[in-house]
Amino acid sequence: MARIEEQAPAFTLVEAAQQEHADDLVVSPPVVSEKRRRGDIFRPGPGPMVDFKGVIKEYDGQHRGLNGVSVSIGTGEFVFLVGPSGSGKSTFIRLCIRELRPTSGSVSIGGRDLGELRKSKVPYLRRAIGCVFQDFRLLSDRTAIENVAYALQVTGHNKQEVRRRVPEMLSLVGLDGKGDRLPREMSGGEQQRVSIARALVNHPRLLIADEPTGNLDPETSMGIMDLLLRINRTGTTVLVATHDMHTVDRMQMRVIRLDEGRIVRDAEGGYNEDPGDTGEIV
Amino acid sequence: MRLGMFFREALRSIRANAAISVAATVTALIAVFILGAFIPSFMYVRSAVDAQTAKVDVDVYISDTASVVQVNKLTAKLDGLKATGIVSDFTYVSKNDALAQMRERLRDPSVLDELPTNPLPAKFNVQPAQPENANAVVAAVTNDPALDPVEGIVYPQTTADRLLTAAKFVQWGGFALIGILLVAAILLIGNTIRLSIYARRREIEVMRLVGATNSFIRWPFMIEGVICGLAGAVVAVAMLWGIKLGVVDAWASSADTALTKTGSTTTISFPALTLLLVVAGAVLGAVGSGITLRRFLRI
Repeated sequence: MARIEEQAPAFTLVEAAQQEHADDLVVSPPVVSEKRRRGDIFRPGPGPMVDFKGVIKEYDGQHRGLNGVSVSIGTGEFVFLVGPSGSGKSTFIRLCIRELRPTSGSVSIGGRDLGELRKSKVPYLRRAIGCVFQDFRLLSDRTAIENVAYALQVTGHNKQEVRRRVPEMLSLVGLDGKGDRLPREMSGGEQQRVSIARALVNHPRLLIADEPTGNLDPETSMGIMDLLLRINRTGTTVLVATHDMHTVDRMQMRVIRLDEGRIVRDAEGGYNEDPGDTGEIV
Repeated sequence: MRLGMFFREALRSIRANAAISVAATVTALIAVFILGAFIPSFMYVRSAVDAQTAKVDVDVYISDTASVVQVNKLTAKLDGLKATGIVSDFTYVSKNDALAQMRERLRDPSVLDELPTNPLPAKFNVQPAQPENANAVVAAVTNDPALDPVEGIVYPQTTADRLLTAAKFVQWGGFALIGILLVAAILLIGNTIRLSIYARRREIEVMRLVGATNSFIRWPFMIEGVICGLAGAVVAVAMLWGIKLGVVDAWASSADTALTKTGSTTTISFPALTLLLVVAGAVLGAVGSGITLRRFLRI
């Protein structure tokens, strides 16, 4: 019970959401030193949130999803992972949530080497990482409230907490009063907001979004990206895989670009190497 | 709270996949029904065999010329066997008793009236504690001076051996059959539940995504399996009850049934069978879904 109160981001996040201009509300840097939650597998202390060291991932012994990737994403960063289809973005993400294991090299999340993570601890890793996908992955026979509540029930929260935190989260993502709708009664943007609320309800320190705007129109995409940015401002590390050039150009954040399983660029700016260039993929 | 949630999730799944749930229930029904028909039959046959085996008595005939001292010595020998537990009991059948028994057995007892003297020797009717002990009894009293030189010791050796073999065969064959039935039932239910899991794989994917532990994912499916198993068991028990009333009881009450006449056959009582089958149904459902889920929960 008490551990909820320790999780400062929940409240700061709500406050941030209530601010129309959240930009001037840059909340405290990542709360790494806070008391560790029960089941929290991340090691306390500073250090990168995501750390890939010489990661090679081979499928079927031949095709390489990643071909020697070393990169570090600091706690509290907002990073775009870009590149054409088949460049290794999905492999990168699946390695982060330990859906895959590297053929060689090491992947660390929150200071924890996933290669040494016991299988039984994998669920705790997933609780510490919020995931958002292009296809939302909502349960179609449940309302928005039930979908978000599900993530809390799965992690063993009681009814009172569920009743308190779910509306809070839905309000945070801008879905006030729409909690009783089923996914099919909502627009794509609204569904993605539900999935973000679900990803955030367990207060992850890392939010991973795989093509979160892939199925959405540009205007809706902007809304979703703004939401992710606001979440990042509360100290959550955000990693967004996308090939949505305009969004990346607009946000001017750190961009890690993959091509054929290698990092070909890692810099702040737009989608392409020349920030001014909005042309074709090189 | 969690258990309540698991139950709600299980019921939600049963409603959402009604056809599959019905299939799982029918599978459980068939398995439990076969089990429920087999177990009492098996126990009945076994008790019938046991009843026959228990009748392996050793008759030790006493010579008419044996002295009282010799008979007393033989009695002391048998008492010794009883004390060591080899023999459960023995009774003395006097010449007159033997004649009376013979009189009862004969269709026309008047022929015995023609006899000038009683030709039947007295005997000890010895009941070995275990059918296997018959040989020990025989060994102990062979060459006893009190033995009747003509009749000596009489016991149905071949019958005893055959019955013992039959009893062992019935026992182990029955256990093996029950084992095979249980495994088949578990696999069948598991297969049906696999359909349900397949229908809900999206849900499992989401559960794992948000960090549900495997045991948390497993519970609703196990409960679903238990509910289907119980439902199948209840229907199977109802069917068996109908068959018991309509067929078995009618058969047992007909006076000509040879086996029931012996009076010593027993089988499982219906309430005990019901309990056993309901538990079996629940366990089948739980184990079936548990085993099937393992494959889906590998990370």
